Amino acid sequence: MKNLGILLITVTVLACGCSKTQDSRIHMREGVGSDTLGSNIVTRPVTHAFSALIGEGLEVTEAVTRKNDAGMLELYVTGFNKSYDTKRFRYKVEWLDADGLPVETKTSTWLQMSATGKAAFSFKVVAPRTNAVDFRMDTRKWE
Amino acid sequence: MKAKIVTIIMLAGLAVAGCAPETTNIDIMNDEGKAVMALDYRDFDQAASKLIQSMVGSGALKKEGGGRYVVATGRIVNDTMQRIDTDQLMVKVETEMLNSGQAVMTSAIGSGADELLHETRELRDSDEFNQETTTQKKTLIAPELTISGKIFQRNIRYDRNRQQVEYYFQLKLSDVKSGLRFWQDEVLVGKRGSDKSVAW
Repeated sequence: MKNLGILLITVTVLACGCSKTQDSRIHMREGVGSDTLGSNIVTRPVTHAFSALIGEGLEVTEAVTRKNDAGMLELYVTGFNKSYDTKRFRYKVEWLDADGLPVETKTSTWLQMSATGKAAFSFKVVAPRTNAVDFRMDTRKWE
Repeated sequence: MKAKIVTIIMLAGLAVAGCAPETTNIDIMNDEGKAVMALDYRDFDQAASKLIQSMVGSGALKKEGGGRYVVATGRIVNDTMQRIDTDQLMVKVETEMLNSGQAVMTSAIGSGADELLHETRELRDSDEFNQETTTQKKTLIAPELTISGKIFQRNIRYDRNRQQVEYYFQLKLSDVKSGLRFWQDEVLVGKRGSDKSVAW
């Protein structure tokens, strides 16, 4: 009986490993795409528990700024949710002028964002003043 | 006997006072308070921030050949079940439009009109005022753009015990001369909670 269980897990792992790598721009959620180690009914409890144990969360992979046609600084943040759970969070962007001093604006407030598990996320923030040249961003949990 | 009653009343009074929640100031920079079913200042901050970013980022306020647009605030309809002063949204939007360096708001007409602008012009006929200090005719600048919008609410029964309340914040920016709409956007703030909570 024990051997059967081990065999089943091995077959599942192999089957998951055989699946073709798909275009990274497309995210197939659980129940839509083929099973992975994280979505398979047998291995899912272990992988999810392990992910939670090591505290996987969000990772910001890139923060790019550019001036738009109107001369306003735009910030594009892209990242990846390494956890299996949807992560809800808040972010606040403060804009800085050429002297590194904060630019007072009503748009610097806590905004909500949500990233689904094992998927990429991105958002854009625009500075409402032309004197903003840099930024500082803070995050916190969405209660 | 009388002393005993007074003591009991005093103790009961102290106990009741001790149970009353303490009044505290809200940390508006990092408010970790629970969400409420009605619209609170955090919802207005969030909606205003998103709408301002959308408008400024769209380039609709960038005037060809440079300079600043003269903008009049039109009607902002409150179609919610709450008594809302729409200035809670518009003051933030107008402030950022002004500070963007791309627009200047007019107080001559619209919902943001200042009555004194017109009253002071009536002083032209008054003998009580030095006529050299009164405002001459044809000095007001007409608006080139108008901004107007709407806030409305939808209440939906989610399940037996819960309701879903959706608040929509909509703004649009139109060119006075051509009537064309340069920009518009909508921000949705959704809440789900107890049926017993009142969203008005």
